[in-house]
Amino acid sequence: MAVIEVTDLRKKYADLTVLDGVSFSVEEGEIFGILGPNGTGKTTTVECVEGLRRPDGGSIRVLGLDPVRDARKVREQIGVQLQQTQLPESIRVWEALDLYASFYANPRDWRELLEEWGLADKRDARFGKLSGGQQQRLFIALALVGNPRVAFLDELTTGLDPQARRTTWELVKRVRASGVTVVLVSHFMDEVEELCDRVAVFNRGKVVAIDTPAGLVGGEHRMRFTLMAGDASGRGDAADLENLPEVTDVSREGNRVVVTGRGDFATAVTAHLARHHVLVSDLRIDKRTLDDAFTALTGRSFE
Amino acid sequence: MMKLAVVETKLLTREPGALFSLLIPLFILVVFGSSIEPGDTVLLPMALAIAVGMVGLYLLPTTLATYRERGILRRLSATPVRPGNLLVVQLILQLVLAMTACGLLLAVAGTVLGAHLPAGVLSAVLVFLLGTASMFAIGLLIAALAPNGRTANGIGVLLYFPMAYLAGLMQPKDQMPAMVARIGEYTPLGAFGQSMREVWAGGAPSPLLLGVLAAYALVVSIAAAKFFRWE
Repeated sequence: MAVIEVTDLRKKYADLTVLDGVSFSVEEGEIFGILGPNGTGKTTTVECVEGLRRPDGGSIRVLGLDPVRDARKVREQIGVQLQQTQLPESIRVWEALDLYASFYANPRDWRELLEEWGLADKRDARFGKLSGGQQQRLFIALALVGNPRVAFLDELTTGLDPQARRTTWELVKRVRASGVTVVLVSHFMDEVEELCDRVAVFNRGKVVAIDTPAGLVGGEHRMRFTLMAGDASGRGDAADLENLPEVTDVSREGNRVVVTGRGDFATAVTAHLARHHVLVSDLRIDKRTLDDAFTALTGRSFE
Repeated sequence: MMKLAVVETKLLTREPGALFSLLIPLFILVVFGSSIEPGDTVLLPMALAIAVGMVGLYLLPTTLATYRERGILRRLSATPVRPGNLLVVQLILQLVLAMTACGLLLAVAGTVLGAHLPAGVLSAVLVFLLGTASMFAIGLLIAALAPNGRTANGIGVLLYFPMAYLAGLMQPKDQMPAMVARIGEYTPLGAFGQSMREVWAGGAPSPLLLGVLAAYALVVSIAAAKFFRWE
């Protein structure tokens, strides 16, 4: 079941077209990524879906409701972590959770959230005294305190150190595991690759592709190696590689061999070589990444 | 809404600015109050005007502009609660603060200093409400126009001193150039202070000055509402 359906969304600020016909749908229980460089309309799209902005055209359905007309009902069922928002410096962690819980008809017990998000020992700390990672965890907890069906997380690991990012990723997976659909806005490839079930790739106010991260990267990988000199038997066996189902192409130039294939072809190739006692050196695998996929989709590099 | 009021009250008590707007007028009152004659009708109204002016021109706009700058109003609009509730709570709280400051001044002046308190309680309350409304309206306009809390604070300071001077809060009115004193009476803080002095002197406040205060409150708050941005 689609929990969010966006069709032909359009938005202009003065003369600048920010969204130029954006369409996608988010299925229940998935982590849906909205990926693109800064300034491609990701946040505007999400803010329209949250009902914070009025689109100029197109239609949006969130849990079957219109986020502008049925704003209250929609906000009751969504949780939001916004980019660049803060809390008052002097508010205590528990006060913020208690306050936000009071906004919803059917909130979660915020004490549980404190435990889950590792903030129990920061219960009485003031917001201004928290570290970046702790603030971020509090924001996610605040997004979940209303017991939402959909959580929107906008650039949630920006400004965090690698360790804190990893931890945050694990927490996001836990949110999904608890049955909440997650919409994740990000300009980090690795984050999207790690977390998302499906991704909409944004470029210049349009969605240029929607697929799984693996599907987007898709295509073929290449593996290069050099046959050890004097290994006469190896020459023939290397040619046999073409018969492996995962391999799409083998090209040779002297001792240099380049094998192209899909999926887990690298394991198949190395197993094949080992089975035939072929010795190789300088083995390298060129993996396509989401960066390559983005460049291929848009004709420009990311960032 | 109740919880919002409770939390905002706690936050206000943690705000050093709130303490200052209670203490600074009190300090002025005590320092100057020790050297005035018992029948004085100038000092206490002056301290009251300073207190209300500080809350309206510093604290209110700084708090609201900071809330917008930090995205707190925007974050609130993503919940089922309207961000307008926060504004209402803040206005009520700041009004309570202004009343507390004035109550404190009256209590200290009435007991320790043995100052003159006016007979016309109703006129005093009316002047207080109209004066506070006009100060708060200006505060709201500052909050609407200032891009962030620091600027709001700066504008508050920049406006406060000339307004306080024109209102005769920094220098006795009879020592000011007549022309300036006359103009000063029609500034928001001036009209407020002058009406207070009239009440203290035992008379009724001039309807013209009350009208001036009401007009400031109305026109400026309409402008504030027009220019206010949530983000």
